[in-house]
Order: sequence, then structure tokens, then C-alpha cells
Amino acid sequence: MTDISRISALNEKYSIFARMADDPKTDSEFLFSAEDNLTSKDIETRCGSRILDGHRPVFDAYVIEKMKAYGGELIGKTNMDEFGAGSFCTNSSFGVPKNPFDMERSCGGAAGGSACAAAVIEDHISLAASTNGSICCPASFCGVFGLAPTYGRISKFGLVDCSNSIDKVGLISSDPKRIAEFLPVISGKDARDPTSCAQPPLELKGRKIKTVAVPKDALSNLSKDVASCFDSSLDALKGMGIEVDTVEMPSLKYAQPACTVIAAAEASTNLASYVGMRYGQQDGDLSLKFDDYFTSVRTEYFGEEVKKRIILGTFVRMGEARERYYMKSLKARHLVISCYKKVFEDHDAVLTPTMPIISPRFDEISMMTSAGSDQAGRLTAPPDLAGMPHISVPCGYSGNGMPIGMQMVTDHWNEDPLLTFANDWGSVFDIKRPEVTL
Amino acid sequence: MKIGLEIHVQLPTESKMFCSCPTTDADAPNTHVCPICLGMPGTRPVMNRKAVECGIKLAKMLNCQIPDTMWFSRKTYFYPDMSKGVQVTQFDHAVGSKGVYHIGKKPIGITKIQIEEDPGKTKRFGDKSSLVDYNRAGMPLAEIVTDPDFSTPAEAREFLKQLITDIRRTIDLPGDGERSIRCDCNISVGIERCEVKNVSGLRNVERALTFEAIRQTKILKAGGKIERETRGFDEERGVTFSVRKKEYESDYGYIEEPDIGIFHIRELADSITIKESHVTMAARLSKEYGLDEKTANQMVLTSVGLAELFELIVKATGDVQMAVSWTRGTISANWKAFEASGKDPAGISEILVRFGKGEITDVETDMGIKSYMTGKDAKTVKEQNADLEHIIAEYLDAHPEIIDEMRKNDKTVNRVIGHAMKETGGKYSSSDIVSVTKRLLESKL
Repeated sequence: MTDISRISALNEKYSIFARMADDPKTDSEFLFSAEDNLTSKDIETRCGSRILDGHRPVFDAYVIEKMKAYGGELIGKTNMDEFGAGSFCTNSSFGVPKNPFDMERSCGGAAGGSACAAAVIEDHISLAASTNGSICCPASFCGVFGLAPTYGRISKFGLVDCSNSIDKVGLISSDPKRIAEFLPVISGKDARDPTSCAQPPLELKGRKIKTVAVPKDALSNLSKDVASCFDSSLDALKGMGIEVDTVEMPSLKYAQPACTVIAAAEASTNLASYVGMRYGQQDGDLSLKFDDYFTSVRTEYFGEEVKKRIILGTFVRMGEARERYYMKSLKARHLVISCYKKVFEDHDAVLTPTMPIISPRFDEISMMTSAGSDQAGRLTAPPDLAGMPHISVPCGYSGNGMPIGMQMVTDHWNEDPLLTFANDWGSVFDIKRPEVTL
Repeated sequence: MKIGLEIHVQLPTESKMFCSCPTTDADAPNTHVCPICLGMPGTRPVMNRKAVECGIKLAKMLNCQIPDTMWFSRKTYFYPDMSKGVQVTQFDHAVGSKGVYHIGKKPIGITKIQIEEDPGKTKRFGDKSSLVDYNRAGMPLAEIVTDPDFSTPAEAREFLKQLITDIRRTIDLPGDGERSIRCDCNISVGIERCEVKNVSGLRNVERALTFEAIRQTKILKAGGKIERETRGFDEERGVTFSVRKKEYESDYGYIEEPDIGIFHIRELADSITIKESHVTMAARLSKEYGLDEKTANQMVLTSVGLAELFELIVKATGDVQMAVSWTRGTISANWKAFEASGKDPAGISEILVRFGKGEITDVETDMGIKSYMTGKDAKTVKEQNADLEHIIAEYLDAHPEIIDEMRKNDKTVNRVIGHAMKETGGKYSSSDIVSVTKRLLESKL
């Protein structure tokens, strides 16, 4: 079986891609995939949404451009929660990816397809975006490595925004060396994205993590499997000569609600551009008045979770609610940042489990409320909101064989020690790959 | 009656506010567009530095407070010509606020000045279909918001007239084509106010406001209530009409624009000096050189270049009286032709320096200046001058009473102008005639 036909078969089985490349080159140096919110000239870009059906961007995202220039071939656009709205990649209009460790379970979200690809395709690297744990959560559920770098490290030109002040492009792979190899390829200043132009140079010099802080609050309300795996990981860390301290980080608890509010507020303004004009679905009834036309297209083609976020995001920035929710959340972001900065005065990193639970089954997810599934992101929201680099590394397996991950956070622009750690950890910890039968 | 204005000025940049599309008039609809100004998914704005500089200049001109940092906000409302579904504008950290601008002695408060992008244009056809042209989408604008400090429509018009002249000068805004200045007019006779949107032209602003004042007064007199609303202005019929019901700023759901970041503008603002406004320049001239206000205003309003030349002559000759007399006479009479020629004004002051030293006579000076300014050779000028001088001299000789009257009353010179115009078929400008007459008068003393 060739690489390509094997990937097609994997896609068939696990619903990895929203769309695969029509006729990929087979002689390229490596294959990569990208979440469907990164624009690609050659492949439809729909962000998991029917409202973008038929949308073929006229430009490649910066990161895709860089990967191609480095010799890569874009093999497909991975499934994601519609416009990033979701925690389990079940809100996709183009297939729900299945967890390679248990097909009844979620790959995590929003970038579920990318983590799934990294788990089942040999030697694979996938580009994805991180807003509210959207890289670390799926990486953890699928037993792979996922890096969300510092906000502003990688140009977002060509990223279809969810929450512009939080979004960052990152990498998912089963091999931390691949992440270390490709991060410099896609980093750097890009005049087309001003937020990328304030960064110091990326230097990967193998700096090591010597001290780690574990916030006490992160250890409560964990599922049993997660708690015990995390405990043994801390022992392993100590065995590597890393000092582990338990610390108080009380402000982190504001991160998840603040992240939800800011993300919804910003997303609702981004989503305002999808009205059935200029691109994507445009098959509404043109005899309607323009606002009725817009409403009809948006009603028809946006999914339920996206609509909920539009309503929430619009509410929190209007009238009196603006001060109470949106402005307050902006203040909370500063609190979270200073809380981290304080700990980084005498620690190299902050460590928590990535997710408080193992990947839930689809039938469990269908019973969850939006608030309930948001709550699952309480450990991944803090670094994303603070714009700090964070990586999820596999750290154990539950009784039923599901992967568990832990998340390490460093101060702004300190991707180097995260990658060194991931690499060192890879040689200490015995990573299991899913058994894939085709 | 309370009136406040919101004035939109298109900033004279070469490219749009967030992309490199040109700002020149396009040949066809939707040709000056790109993925960024069309708001295609995945694009993001990159700020045009020139637009920020223009904003700072205008903020300085309006004596605004300029903050150390400013940023942009997103204003959301759904409209087909808003390509991104949001407008990037400034809400609570604008480039300038709390300014003041004088019309005559009256101060008008400037609430704020903000930089923002223009949406596209919707063209309606018949009553069924509309087409959208995004050529204008993303053009940089400055919006100047005044306090409700005007008490009559005429005062608002006077303000606008002066403001526009100053704006054009401050940011080198050409006075042509699509680069018009649009105005939203807020007016309340009682408590609640109405906004008349998108009025263009000084005359229309006054008309729209006058119509609204009468309309609101009538409603209140009849015991009715004014409802807060947005209205449009029908230029042909001269009436305002209701467009939509009340809207408040908080209905727009502003959030901070996350893509373009925070601008630290203190250093930039400090490094920018703006040209003097007409009003300030006139005031300075009258103070510095002891000119009466009318003369100073007239000089500046004819052209700032003329006033600058006046200062140059004073500097070169040290003689204010002489500079005034030549500037008002021969020089302003030939100013238009000179301005178009693009010649160096220093040439004029050099001639006057020689005159000051007594090297040339006043007739020679007059001819020299005319010849330099118009590019006509000295011989033609001399002939024309002689021609005019001859006519005026004959007239004055025939009417000696005029000479006496003229010494008492300046306006008598109008009779000379009338006569000379008639005789020459309007070949000479009135200021030419005045300057020759004055010279002849002086020689008769």
C-alpha cells in the first residue's frame, strides 16, 4: 500500500479529514496536514462549517506556504469543531473523527482531526490552531504531543479566526523531534500579521527545565486514572532530577470563564462576516431584504453550537453586559498572566494534567451541556488565555487503555525548554501507539 | 437649540487603511479590491502608518489631548457593503479627545477624533436589486465629533467652512473628486435628538439642520414628542426623512480590535509639527506686524503662500508698510498666475530689496514684479501698464474732485475702477487698477 492510499484508508476508518488533497504529489519530502481553519489554495477551506461550502481561498496560510517551501505536501484538511466551537470535535459538518484507541470515543477538540492524524499516520506532522485548549486537549486524548507556542510566535495570516486575541497556530505530532524540527520553519515575523512582528528570535538551544510548579487547585476533581497517572509522572520527573513544588495559583480559576467570554465575544464578530455573500454558500433567496437574507443563510448553515456562541458572544459585549462580562474578562486575563509571571520568578514551568478526564464516549458527550464541556477545559484555558507556550505530552494510560496527557507551561517566548523536556520525556516514558488495523 | 456635528474626512493616503489597494478613483466597480478589503476569511489588517500620522495632525489642529497609546475597536452591524461584518474604528482610546476649535471668539468643543475605515457602497437599481461596490471599502477616514455647541444652523455652516479649509491645509487634502467631506448632523430643539446622516456640502448641512429645527419645533408646539432616530436628507426636496429608530453606542457591541494591536504614539505625536491654520496664521500676522485683522485675514484667505511671501519681504527689506502695500497691490493682483507657474517667491522679494535701496523706481519695480510673476516679457508689461496708466491719468485729470474725495473715502476708487474696466473691456483686474491709481495719487501729492 502506498502512503497515500493507506492514508485514504485511515481517513475512511477514522474520519480524519474534512477534505483530502485531490491529487497529492507522491515525491515530496514529507506529508503534512492542516486543520480546516487554515486557508489552502488547492483544497476547500470550510472550518467545519457548511456556510463555507465551496470556499476555495485564493491564498495559502503563512504556515502552509512555509511547510510547502520546506518540501512538504499538504495531504488534507483535518476535521474540527465548526469554527472552533466545541471541546470534542463532535460539532463538525464533515465527519466526526474517531479516537484510534477506542472508536466509540472522542479525539478531543477543536483540532480532533489533526491529533487523530498524528496518532495514526506514520511520522506525521499536523498544523492546528489553539484557542481554548484546542491543541492540547486532542493531543492528550489521542496520546500524542501538541505544542501551542507563544501568542505571536507564528504568523496567523490565513488562519480563519475564532478568537483573534487568543488564537495561535501550533503543531501536533507523535514525535516531539518533529515538532522541534518544524517550529523554526513556521515561526518568525510576517508583515501580513502585525501580532507576529513583536517576537524575539526563536532559539532552540536545548535549555532544560529544572524546577516545576504544580498548582494545588489543578489536582482536585480529577478522574481517578488521571490523578494516578499524573502522580506517577511527578515521580518520574523527580527521577529525572527535576524539582517539583506544589504552589497556590488562585487566579487560574478565572481563566476558563474569561476565555469562554472573550472567545465568544470575538468569535461572534468574526462570524458576522458569514452572510451568504462574496464566498461560501450563496444560495439564499435574493428577493428577501438583506437582513432577512443574511438571517436565512445563517439560520440554515450555522450549526447549533456556533449559534449558541454567537448569542453568548453578542450578549457579553452589548449594553450593560459589556462591562460586566467582556471588560471584566479582559481584566481577568491580566490577573492570570501575572499569576503565572509570579510563579515563573522561581520556577521554570507550571505542570498540570492536560484534561481532568479521559476522552469521553460519544454517548456521554451527547448528554453534556455546553457549560459542562467547557468545564473540561479548565486546565487548558489558563495558558491559552495568557498567551503562554504550552505543550501536552502523553503521561500514562487509563485502566481501559485510553491515553492521558500532562501539560507544561513556560513563560512567554520560552518554547525551547518545552521542546527539550518533551524530547527527554520521550526517552523516559514508554509511549504506546494505537493498534491500527485496516 | 443644540447642534453637534460628526465630520468624516477621507485621509489622503496612497493605499487603503489596511491593505495595499490604491485609493485613487477606479475605472470600474470592484477593481480596487483584494482579499483583505473584501474581508476574505484568514486575512488580517495591517495599519497604514500615514493614516495614523494624518489622525495625529488633525488631533493637533483641533487642540485635542493625544494619548500615549491608542488602539482600535470593532463595531458590529450587518450591512451588505461592510465586507467584514465589522467596522474597524476607534471607541474608547481614540487618537484625540477633548479638543477645542474656535469660530471667531466662540470655542467649539471637540469630543474626539477617531480613525476608521470606510465601508463599500451600495447602489440600488429600480426598487428590486442592489449591487455592492467595494472599491471604497477600507479607505481611511478621520471622524471628528464635536460637542453639541452650535446654537444655529448658520453657525454650524460657518464652523464647517473654516474647519474644511484648515483640514485641507493641515493634511494636504486635495479639494476634488470623491475625497469629499461628509457630515452627520445631530440636532435637538427639546430634549431628544435626531441625527441626519451623510449630508454632503456646506449648504446642505445648513439646509438639513434648518429643516430639522423647524420640524422639531412644530412637533413640540403641537404637543408631540421627538423620538430619537436616524434620518436621511433628500437634497432635491430639501427635507429630512426617517431612516431607522433610535440606536445607542452600546448597541454596537464594541470589542477591542485584536489584530492590529496597541499603538504607542507619544514619540510619533511629539515628532509631528503641523502647519499653522489660517485662523492662527492671520492672528499671528496681525500681532507680529501690527496689521489690522481684516488685512491679515484677507492675505491668508487669498493664499497662505501670499502671506508667507509677505513675511519673506518683511524679512528681506525690514519695511512692513512697503511689504503690505506691494503684497496687497501688484503681488496679489498677479497671484493666481504666479501660483500656477511654481516659480520661487524669493525672486519677488529680491526686486523689492532693490526698490528699498532706491536702485529702481516704483514703476520699474511694478513692471519687474509683474513680468516675473506672469512670465510676460518686460516690454509687454510696460505697454500694458502704460496703456492702463494713461487711461487712469486722463480720467483723474478730467475729474480732479475725485482725487480729493479719494483721500477722504477709500471707496471712491470704485469709480476709477468702473471707468477703467469700461474703457479696457475688463482687461485689467480691479486690484491692478487700484495699485496704479494709488501710485498715481501718490505721485500727485
